[in-house]
Amino acid sequence: MFNKVLIANRGEIAVRIIRACRDLGIGTVAVYSEADREAMHVRLADQAYYLGPAPSRDSYLRADKILAIAKKSEAGAIHPGYGFLAERADFAQACLDENLAFIGPKPSSIAAMGDKGVARAKVAASGVPVVPGTEGEGALSDEELLALAEQFGLPLLIKATAGGGGKGMREVQTMEDMPGLLQAARREAEASFGDGNVYLEKLVEGARHIEIQILADSHGNVIHLGERECSLQRRHQKLLEESPSPFIGDDEDLRQRMGSVAVRAAQAVDYINAGTIEFLVDKDKNFYFLEMNTRLQVEHPITEMVTGIDIVKEQIRIARGRQMRHSQDAISLSGWAIECRINAEDPYNNYLPSTGKITHMILPTGPGVRLDTGVYSGFRISPYYDSLIAKLVVSGESRGEALLRMRRALEEFKIIGIRTNIPFHQLMMDSTRFVAGQYDTRFVEERFSMEAAEEGKEDLSEIAAILATLVAHQQTQRAAHIIQRNERDTSNWKWVGRWERMQR
Amino acid sequence: MKYVATTGDREITVEIVDEHHVIVDGVSYEIDFESVSEQTVYSLLANNQSHEALVYESEDGWQVLLHGSQYVLVVEDERERRLRASLGGGIPQNVDFHLRAPMPGLIVTVPVEDGQEIEKGDVLVVLESMKMQNELKSPRPGKVSRVRVKPGDSVEQRDTLLSVI
Repeated sequence: MFNKVLIANRGEIAVRIIRACRDLGIGTVAVYSEADREAMHVRLADQAYYLGPAPSRDSYLRADKILAIAKKSEAGAIHPGYGFLAERADFAQACLDENLAFIGPKPSSIAAMGDKGVARAKVAASGVPVVPGTEGEGALSDEELLALAEQFGLPLLIKATAGGGGKGMREVQTMEDMPGLLQAARREAEASFGDGNVYLEKLVEGARHIEIQILADSHGNVIHLGERECSLQRRHQKLLEESPSPFIGDDEDLRQRMGSVAVRAAQAVDYINAGTIEFLVDKDKNFYFLEMNTRLQVEHPITEMVTGIDIVKEQIRIARGRQMRHSQDAISLSGWAIECRINAEDPYNNYLPSTGKITHMILPTGPGVRLDTGVYSGFRISPYYDSLIAKLVVSGESRGEALLRMRRALEEFKIIGIRTNIPFHQLMMDSTRFVAGQYDTRFVEERFSMEAAEEGKEDLSEIAAILATLVAHQQTQRAAHIIQRNERDTSNWKWVGRWERMQR
Repeated sequence: MKYVATTGDREITVEIVDEHHVIVDGVSYEIDFESVSEQTVYSLLANNQSHEALVYESEDGWQVLLHGSQYVLVVEDERERRLRASLGGGIPQNVDFHLRAPMPGLIVTVPVEDGQEIEKGDVLVVLESMKMQNELKSPRPGKVSRVRVKPGDSVEQRDTLLSVI
């Protein structure tokens, strides 16, 4: 049993895992790239080791170096977080070969679920419905994919075989665009996961993206922790999640059916540790298996808020070979939780990533507010990694209370020096469709624009004019002041001294 | 001191009477104005209504983030305004546009070539940064000139990528 964990990740998730280890009294080892020497995870961990240059392929994807560091630091386990090496079966296997516990599923489960084709075939065999696609076909060439696309009909999705988080994903609306989109998807997949393979999937329109969190221990217990609603996405990147799902609402029957299907899917690959089964749900409440994420999810905190279970601590407990502390009948969702992903990108400028130094930060606090972040005032956001800089999570007794609380927390949250998507979330909290819970995965792209959302709002142009004018005025005054000071090139004291001597 | 703040088509006259009084389009406000953190977050009490805003300068003017909305304002004092009016005002359309990298990154593709005629909104360069591919578009129609990058190039922030003449 291990007493020290190496965290093979960076950013907010590395910080999250370090905190869980701290809570359990377990030692922590951080790794960092050249760009991350001053990062929060390095500051918080007990030990930290340099990995390599900033690009992830030279640092956070260097499995060999990470394993060597684990040996050197005498860590007994590796937590991969999400992204980077989290869903690489070869890395999980390498950990076991080195006699290190891998805080995640068995390599065979990652491999089975990691190749989405195999995963879909496996799950379909156990009677779970799947969305039509090039399941189980393995790596196909562009020509083969183009031929299959004709067969399935449009619209289609190109997805990265090794992917997740919308990276390497493209939507095909016309056959003419498809060759170019395939190229772009492969390039992005190669850059993000080191694997350029892609597959096709039929696009379910008006779909909701709802996922079930599961936990499984090595003693054969598998439970689910209810659902998370993840339909609010832009270009297949999740932006906001809530639990429970307003679409499922009080349909306890649907929740339990999806839950038991998720448990069955996990059992189909002999799953151990925390995992997530993603479903597409159509408007008639039919649900289709989409994929399984064999790792900790970005949005896990909302499930923690409504179930009261610390998922990361539970992951460590399971990896230590212990039994889970909870049985299925002890799990119930209480209250409501919402998470807003705060990204370093400018919603007023086509969501262009924003880099630079955070000069100042005012954090939201108060009842029901949780902030998971890896940045701080003075930290420099580099262009090398994901743009997620913080997860703002709130909880309340009801959805209404949670929404109002989120609105309040967003207003308090100020990040200065870089642009963030906080204004996007603020407008979302005012969107009637969102507030009513009526949104699908296309909502942001098709029905939401920053300009339109601002239209109905109270116009505060006069106040804005006063503010801008006062700041501009102050600036001119200050500039004038500096010029005046420089009129005399020596200090006033010196000048007075000389003048007095002259008068003697 | 009298200023004119322009936002969109709207011109708002702001007269700073003294430290605690301004007149906005003829309406008088009693104000109290403080910088609450390092000169970017400001607290304004206008007739005792409390407003907190982020105010920063950009190429388009002053950006004011106020109660979740963004306002962009150009602030000029009367003298500047007269000067600009006498020069004919407006931003001439025939000035060359130099596309600069908004952030460091990797050039993925350059879908245009030297001498190519383009429309406003056409994609000029695809730049990868933070693992996202970002399309950099032309703000006006024109002809592509001096393409300085090719796919695979790494660029620093504010590097000139190409020009539109």
